[in-house]
Amino acid sequence: MKEKTQVVDIDRSRYDFRYEEDESEYLESGIAPEIIKAISDEKNDPEWMREFRLKSLEIYDHTPMVDWGPDISGLNVDSIVAYIRQKNRMKTDWEDVPEDIKETFEKLGIPQAERESLAGVGAQYDSELVYHNVRQEVAQSGVVYTDLESAMHDPKYADIIKSHFMKLVPPTDHKFAALHGAVWSGGSFVYVPKNVHLDIPLQSYFRLNAKGAGQFEHTLIILEENSYLHFIEGCSAPKYYEASLHAGCVELYVGKGAKLRYSTIENWSKNMYNLNTKRALVEENGTIEWVSGSFGSHVSYLYPMSILNGRGASAEFTGITFAGEGQNLDTGAKMVHNAPETSSYMNTKSISKSGGVSTFRSAVVVKENAKGSKSSVNCESLMLDSISRSDTVPVMDIRTKQCDVGHEAKIGRISDETVFYLMSRGLSEEQARAMIVRGFADNVSKELPLEYAVEMNNLIGLEMQGGIG
Amino acid sequence: MINMSEKRINTLPVPTFRWLGVNDYKYDIKEFDTDIKEISVPENESKSEVVYIDSESATDIRISAENGSKIKLVCVFDVQGQARSKVTAELDENASLELVELYLGGDVVSEIVTELKGRKATFEADIGFKLESGDKLDINLIADHFGRKTVSSINAGGVLGGSAEKIFKGTIDFKNGSDGAKGAEKEEVLLLSDEAVNKTVPLILCAEENVEGNHGASVGRIDEKQFFYMQSRGIDEDKIYDLAAQAKLARVISRIDDKETLERINESLGRGEDSE
Repeated sequence: MKEKTQVVDIDRSRYDFRYEEDESEYLESGIAPEIIKAISDEKNDPEWMREFRLKSLEIYDHTPMVDWGPDISGLNVDSIVAYIRQKNRMKTDWEDVPEDIKETFEKLGIPQAERESLAGVGAQYDSELVYHNVRQEVAQSGVVYTDLESAMHDPKYADIIKSHFMKLVPPTDHKFAALHGAVWSGGSFVYVPKNVHLDIPLQSYFRLNAKGAGQFEHTLIILEENSYLHFIEGCSAPKYYEASLHAGCVELYVGKGAKLRYSTIENWSKNMYNLNTKRALVEENGTIEWVSGSFGSHVSYLYPMSILNGRGASAEFTGITFAGEGQNLDTGAKMVHNAPETSSYMNTKSISKSGGVSTFRSAVVVKENAKGSKSSVNCESLMLDSISRSDTVPVMDIRTKQCDVGHEAKIGRISDETVFYLMSRGLSEEQARAMIVRGFADNVSKELPLEYAVEMNNLIGLEMQGGIG
Repeated sequence: MINMSEKRINTLPVPTFRWLGVNDYKYDIKEFDTDIKEISVPENESKSEVVYIDSESATDIRISAENGSKIKLVCVFDVQGQARSKVTAELDENASLELVELYLGGDVVSEIVTELKGRKATFEADIGFKLESGDKLDINLIADHFGRKTVSSINAGGVLGGSAEKIFKGTIDFKNGSDGAKGAEKEEVLLLSDEAVNKTVPLILCAEENVEGNHGASVGRIDEKQFFYMQSRGIDEDKIYDLAAQAKLARVISRIDDKETLERINESLGRGEDSE
């Protein structure tokens, strides 16, 4: 009897370690005005932020739950701990970080990556940033890379934060945006001045160690005219039986002629509800490039939006999703063409196996004023068995005659013809099929930062056993 | 009798972002007495039907095609006002449905649900539209593949002028057990106006490993090279657009054999002389 090709689940053992938390540092679970006020007190929020949080809570209370997408009935927000206090303040010297936290990030390879290939690193552990550092020469060029809360209290940046915070993703956007506005904590602020090109990336790493908790970090990046930045975001958590929640928010402002590459490798544990919101506003001739790998989580809703707001602005989204047993990953992107001669390109791959559900969901909107715009979407899905599921749900909304919009999607299994061809060139059937599956993910994985691409290849281990049915 | 009421119909099988307004059709629509038409095609027989809708109405066409039978259904919508249409079909083993739908105007809500139940059942849909200011069209086409080696092919295309609004929702749904099924969907839309609104929603849902599904869509203007070529042959811009519009519809019209129907279509398109 022939055996099927086995594509093993992503090995998360590397991420699946944990440290005991001191429960006294938890705020009460649930979402209530007292908890919001306690977070505000804890953070010494300016008055506008305290009001913003309470207003967001009101919006949260009145906003209905999403009525489309994967089932999130297993998530009880009232049992989620929204904020966990850190005993120690954020450090800028790695040696000063508490031992257990330091060990966590060392296991994840963050300090090593910082030494070898990064211009700066931020590390968030549960609700708070525990470490933030940027190379001296980078800081001297005027680049600001700090935690959002310090920036909010710094007279140099306070006004910038106030005028940009949750303006792209307002709390009215959806229920979990409102929740984020009420309980957000941690996250990074990046400012790249005019004409500054940062050749090596900055990276933030988010680790949720606590049980039954939520992580609500906020990332705000502003690129001035003709600047360049590559920002990498990584996230992981150990597995618990209780549901965890990640409802972060990313707001990116890309100035005229500037270019931002935003890479994310999401590898949350399989008890995580990942309800993250990401949005970029791109001005004239600016470029946003999203690279997104979704491997973890129990449920994901993740669709970075690019608003092309200036003539000639462009956006590119490259994504790969791997849904295994117990996972329902609903991912994709949204492109809004709101100026002439803008362009967008989406290229995604998804793999479903062992009962996993993968959905590609997208929106391309070309408004009346986006004359001369172009958009192209390409998505491919690979089903590795018949107990899994793969759906493609794209929408195009076009409101000008002067545009070119194209869309292509494919779904299917490993093609027998391709296997036959490769075998005719001397490969065994196992080698041929392994090559096809690796090749399927290749044009996305090559867009990942090198260390993540290597990691992804290791993560998607292939076990070829005999012939394939 | 006509009543007004708010309804939600033409529901997308898998809903998506609410702000796009494509999950269902929910406006005040007139409630008509529905004209129900049942078409049964016995085993190994063939049938052909034409339905020409030129007045406000609601039609409900229910097709049942037994093993090895063939049915061709042509529906033309040329309405001043509102019309609702529903076509449901059940196809047994080796049965085939050829559906040709042409939309020439009106405020039309159209739902087409085909269940490919039997092994090797096939469904071929050719849909064309030419809409002007005031016209609205909401199509929700669903091809449910239940049987093994079933095949669906959906081709839609047309032109939108003035302030016409069109939503085409096309779903190929590979159910678990539809081993060896194939589904393809294509839509090409030419926009002739900056006030027109085109929404294209091509879904592929898949719960079976051994299937092949693909969809492609292209929306926008005439290809620049084609446009340049025609200009170089001395054809002015208006005529180029007119020719392109005719070409988009010609594909669908060529599938219609009935002479009387063709005459009515040509008359409606204002080119009666072409029907000679």
